Amino acid sequence: MSEIRLLINGKQVKGKQGDTVLDVCQANSIDLPTLCHYKGLTEVGACRLCLVEIEKERNLVPACTYPARDGQVVLTSTDKLEKYRRLVLELLFTERNHLCAYCVATGDCDLQSLAYKYQMDNARYQYSWPNQTTDSSHPNIVLDHNRCILCGRCIRTCDEITGAHALDFGKRGWKTNVCADINQPLGESSCVSCGGCFQACPTGAIFSKISAYRGRPSECTSVESTCAICGVGCNINGLVKNNRVVRIDSPDMTKPRGLLCEIGRFEPLYEAADRVTTPLKRNNKGQLVSCSYEEAFEAISRKLGACDGVAGLASGKANSEALIAFADLMDKLGSKMVDTLDGDDCRTVSQGIAKFDSKAGLDMEAKLEDILAAECIVVIGAHPTRTHPVIGSYVMRAASKNKAQLVVIDPLRNPFTFRASVWLKPPEGNKELTIKALGKAILDHLPARAAGDKSKYTAAFKETDVKKASKDLGIDMHDVVKAGEILAGSKNGIIIYGSGILQYKDAELVATILNLAALIGEKPRVISLKRYGNSRGAWDLGLVNAKGSVAADLARGKARGLYLLLADDLADSQALADSVKGVEFAVVQASYRSPITEKADVVLPSLLWTESKGSYTTIDGINKQTAPMVKARAEIKTDADTLKEVARHLKK
Amino acid sequence: MAKVKVATVWLESCAGCHMSFLDVDEFIIDLSKLVEFRRSPITDIKDFTPVDVGIVEGSVGNEEEKEVIEELRHNCKILMALGDCACFGGVCAMRNTLDKEAVLKRAYIDTPSTYKGKIPVSPGVPALLDKVYPANQIVKVDCYVPGCPPEPEAIKYGLTELLAGRIPVVPSNIMRFD
Repeated sequence: MSEIRLLINGKQVKGKQGDTVLDVCQANSIDLPTLCHYKGLTEVGACRLCLVEIEKERNLVPACTYPARDGQVVLTSTDKLEKYRRLVLELLFTERNHLCAYCVATGDCDLQSLAYKYQMDNARYQYSWPNQTTDSSHPNIVLDHNRCILCGRCIRTCDEITGAHALDFGKRGWKTNVCADINQPLGESSCVSCGGCFQACPTGAIFSKISAYRGRPSECTSVESTCAICGVGCNINGLVKNNRVVRIDSPDMTKPRGLLCEIGRFEPLYEAADRVTTPLKRNNKGQLVSCSYEEAFEAISRKLGACDGVAGLASGKANSEALIAFADLMDKLGSKMVDTLDGDDCRTVSQGIAKFDSKAGLDMEAKLEDILAAECIVVIGAHPTRTHPVIGSYVMRAASKNKAQLVVIDPLRNPFTFRASVWLKPPEGNKELTIKALGKAILDHLPARAAGDKSKYTAAFKETDVKKASKDLGIDMHDVVKAGEILAGSKNGIIIYGSGILQYKDAELVATILNLAALIGEKPRVISLKRYGNSRGAWDLGLVNAKGSVAADLARGKARGLYLLLADDLADSQALADSVKGVEFAVVQASYRSPITEKADVVLPSLLWTESKGSYTTIDGINKQTAPMVKARAEIKTDADTLKEVARHLKK
Repeated sequence: MAKVKVATVWLESCAGCHMSFLDVDEFIIDLSKLVEFRRSPITDIKDFTPVDVGIVEGSVGNEEEKEVIEELRHNCKILMALGDCACFGGVCAMRNTLDKEAVLKRAYIDTPSTYKGKIPVSPGVPALLDKVYPANQIVKVDCYVPGCPPEPEAIKYGLTELLAGRIPVVPSNIMRFD
């Protein structure tokens, strides 16, 4: 892009063709007040605070929407401009009910800081005191219209960053308000609860219930970390006061992995369950009682070492350091039964990839950012809006902003189905035939030459009869044909699949999906949704048992001893407690008391991801680090240290 | 040099601004050498005499307050609004989004702890204005020190400037609305 030169406040500055005057000012550290401008969003020029004087321009113009041109002469701070800026502020303050003294955002409010900056100690206009409402119907987010300045930052964030477009302006003129969907209560709307709106809000008009009045950013320490809850690995900025996480923000919502979701933004702020604060040991009466680390290690060394056949199971919620130490410990115990809780998923995915291309590994999977660039997205048996909401947002953004065509194969309705170009609704358990029919439909539409290039991928689909398959599946053949037509024209299509496919433990099905992916792009792009924050880390470390599920072995009573590394995983506890049979001595390392810890002989405490430093590998294989945001309220060793100590205490 | 005469009034507000004024620490000793307090909640003098500086804390929400601020304006050369209520309406202005009648009904009849409540009609109780107003919407105000309450630093700045014969505008770094 060609360079342009401007004269701003008498100083020669450089910019790029296509920049706005505001871009040039910001790039050259020229201070301009803004309210409706938010980095990464489209500019609307709503607040009129960034007004500048431009030579030969009849009026004052907003810098945020005015294109910078070569040779422009700009003034950003004249008496006239300052006068108008103060006037704008007074109008904003008198338009609605801005009463800082009891506002949640005071001390963290762009409008207030600008009023301070312009020494706005009174307003010359009549206050309107409109009777505005407050919508607190949402469990986490409050929308208080009294403090809204209608800058539209929340609306643009919801649409452009989250891709949900749940918020928009409703009504007209004086009565304009931010409203959810068709003016529904926020809690009943299509809001995905990502919290982007309140992070973008320059005032206290949208705020988080749980963070409200718990500390201003100026009173908090800010810790840069990574969210370890799911495998997306979003960058987070935790605000901490008095050893509590008060709020979780994104360091930059517009960057890759900058967008947060409901889970990442709110879950770490709540205490989920009873914590295990000290090691616990079963006494003579069969009760679990608190003991020292030494006693616990000693008991483990004595009993677990003596067990004939020890099984080791790790959750993908543990960090990589802990998983490495876990592998070493199991090695020292001579265990052949080591697996992760989602081992089945890993075996299905890996074997599927091997069937498709024996040389490829998990690395062949696409990066999450590829979703944003894709022309076509196929979502099969996955509900990313629920399990990995940021991936859901990526898909919705691609569909709404880039006009990506969306094909959904799922028996159940999910948030994608109403945006989908085609929604194929096969009966439960019949995805394979649907995929094959779709593959054949694509083949039918591929130009002959392209079909020739892709001949090695077509074998899986050639034999399928689209008409017959559609009839068998009870879906409209025209839908399949239409989907085929759309996908055949794609150069960089991507397929996202998840638990709806993996639950069948069918590697052949995964291979078929990969073949389908090969037909819709120059190279096959797929993303499998892995269950835990560090699933991919555990898979890459080779913790997954190649032969078969150890959890299934445990259910069949094949192991006498068990070491279970749960970390802060709560979800699997009940199922494990119900299924494990015939174990004489069980050690559980977990953060929370749960049904499985109540069955254990020794329980070791485990730090939460918010309390520890650790490495996590995202779904698409990127290594990310967490930083401790808070200190555990008890003396708890890190998972890796605990496991190393256990190994050290084992009898040789 | 004759002492500067100051009158302060406390209208619809919590007295926090006067409290914050007393928070200026030893400055109050220097100040007492330079100024003389006439009518003020601090001196408990109730009648107005002409003064140089009038300071108003609180917003204007009823007939009596309106009368008081008008009389203060009449008797002072320079009027300073002290605190958010006087400058912007403040917490008292929360009632402005509702009708006067709804506010009275809520306060005197609907409150859960009230039994057989009645809205007072005695001429001894000043009637509410339709809305709560900041000082500058009733009378001319010359300078403002906002804050809820204002920082003692800001009050000190405002008074020092006035004593030096200048009209103060509180600098950004000590201005607070909360």
